Amino acid sequence: MANELLKVKNLKTYFKTEAGIAKAVDGVDFDIMPGEVLGIVGESGSGKSVTSLSIMQLIPNPPGDIVEGNIIFEGKDLLEAYRRKDYDVIRKIRGNKISMIFQEPMTSLNPVFTIGDQVAESLVLHKGMTPKEARDYAVKMLELVGIPSARERIDEYPHQFSGGMRQRVMIAMALSCDPSLLIADEPTTALDVTIQAQILELMLEVKAKTSNAAILLITHDMAVIAETCHRVVVMYCGRIQEIADVKTIFHSPQHPYTQGLLASLPKPGQKVKRLSTIEGMVPSLFNLPKGCSFCTRCSQKLAQCETVPPEMVETAPGHLVRCHLAKPMNSA
Amino acid sequence: MTEKKKTETLLEVVDLKMYFPVYGGVFRSHVADVKAIDGVNFTLREGETLGLVGESGCGKSTTGKCIINLNRPTSGHIIFHTQKDASRGYRITPEKPVPVNLAKLNNDQMRPYRSEIQMIFQDPYASLNPRMTVSDIIMEPLSIHMPELSKAQMLEKVDWLMEKVGLSAEQATRYPHEFSGGQRQRIGIARALATNPRLVIADEPVSALDVSIQAQVINLMQDLQEEFGLTYIFIAHDLAVVEHISDRIAVMYLGNIVELADAETLFKNPLHPYTRALMSAIPHPDPNVKKDKRIVLQGDVPSPMKKPSGCGFRTRCPIARNDCAIDVPPMLEAAPEHFVACPYYATQDKN
Repeated sequence: MANELLKVKNLKTYFKTEAGIAKAVDGVDFDIMPGEVLGIVGESGSGKSVTSLSIMQLIPNPPGDIVEGNIIFEGKDLLEAYRRKDYDVIRKIRGNKISMIFQEPMTSLNPVFTIGDQVAESLVLHKGMTPKEARDYAVKMLELVGIPSARERIDEYPHQFSGGMRQRVMIAMALSCDPSLLIADEPTTALDVTIQAQILELMLEVKAKTSNAAILLITHDMAVIAETCHRVVVMYCGRIQEIADVKTIFHSPQHPYTQGLLASLPKPGQKVKRLSTIEGMVPSLFNLPKGCSFCTRCSQKLAQCETVPPEMVETAPGHLVRCHLAKPMNSA
Repeated sequence: MTEKKKTETLLEVVDLKMYFPVYGGVFRSHVADVKAIDGVNFTLREGETLGLVGESGCGKSTTGKCIINLNRPTSGHIIFHTQKDASRGYRITPEKPVPVNLAKLNNDQMRPYRSEIQMIFQDPYASLNPRMTVSDIIMEPLSIHMPELSKAQMLEKVDWLMEKVGLSAEQATRYPHEFSGGQRQRIGIARALATNPRLVIADEPVSALDVSIQAQVINLMQDLQEEFGLTYIFIAHDLAVVEHISDRIAVMYLGNIVELADAETLFKNPLHPYTRALMSAIPHPDPNVKKDKRIVLQGDVPSPMKKPSGCGFRTRCPIARNDCAIDVPPMLEAAPEHFVACPYYATQDKN
């Protein structure tokens, strides 16, 4: 195995609220290889965004805190400095080696600075360019992401751009410092389908043209995952339920949640009379079941599911499932 | 999908236009119009589901709002085949009363017909009054449209409705914040059904919900349609969802319908260049499905304030010609019941 770019080990991020402790992320392990596109999929409240914000150390504290775990990026544990309250370490990495694209292109750009200023900012900060060099480089980046007449538009403000164009600016910003990891948190959720197709294509294209950054793509849309990712992490209630490569996830999912999720999707071109559903709803984070967090909705529940939390089981090389039904590789 | 023939007309929309005026300059003079809907025509048959799809700003929601008279259209007709006879005190009559043109009614004149047309809104967090209990929310349309019912009868109907949408009657005394998104959407559906409507306009009813909950609500809507013989106008941007629930689909772009066909035909054989691009942009939830070359449209949707002349799509159209700029293309019947607003659709290469 090659060296992982990022290794997340037993990450726990809790939020202390008046109603109790919300275990938003409760023991998450995964890794990302250089150049890989890894998808994290899950419903709202499954902890997928909190995972990404924990990697970036952007969790608002209080109420949130990374209470346990290791985040090893290029061989260095980022959380070790976090615990010493030494935030300079992450500051040098954030926006430089690891950068992020947010969901809302309308709110994630600063309305009072020009597009050029915002793209150039990280270049001046991290790459030590002079403002003039940074500006020229920003024009180059904006051209790369397909903004027409970039040299003229660089002095415009975010409100003069459409949603798709703003997301392009975000991508230019995120990729300007040649990051080795790009975290994209629902990058196309706020966009229309035709623009979504443009942006996804652009992300992969620009990634190939620049530093071949690994991408951590967070989304709730299984179809987007199917089209872009190499491997998939399925999250539910703050825990990873299944990890496998994209074909395995879609064709032989092992976890009942993944199976239910895929069955409930309407598929273009295949009309069925009724959609199959997952009964019930996501339990509250304050009131999770004692055993498997999916046991309240699972159709294949066993007696032990309610009391014993299942462990991650490797059913095939690289295919991990958190379910009592899953059979480990060698016994199968 | 269903065996019953859907032939009776319920609603006809004829050349519907909705312009929102824009005022500017020192004297706040009328400088332009946002042409949200610019000549929409379609016929809705009783018992069917018509899907309205399109990107944001194409006028699909405005069309829904015009039908329910939340927006007064600038021009055009919305002919509703009502069961209520105005000359007999809006009583429901077995013989067909004269159809009514909703576009010409004011609020007071519209009120009797509102019980026949109801709406389900997109955001279940914003469309329920947080200060009212669930039973008050569902009872409100009853007390307006069926004042002859006693309080006990209304409560009974509330319980019955809640059971129909998959909530338990004990939950009636709770407030909306005690419910999850999917449950709130069920409350919204129960409220819409309270007045025994015939037409339900659902404006993005599942886009705010999680995938696993989406399927539950879609199934519920289909069950209720079968049980009560409802007609739906289903407005959504998610093409896979629309294909699943709709009998016929109208594709909108910049205030016009560009293509209208039954769901299966539209997905198998899209004719309009915009529909084709839209179809090819849908990501498919199966990594093995290899797409034919994706048609990625260049640029963005033009502003509805500065619509291009002629065909609205010509600025992004791969097969645009010079004369596309002259006239708005008329709806052609390319095949029986398959309408397309593009005279040159046949010149595209067949995939």
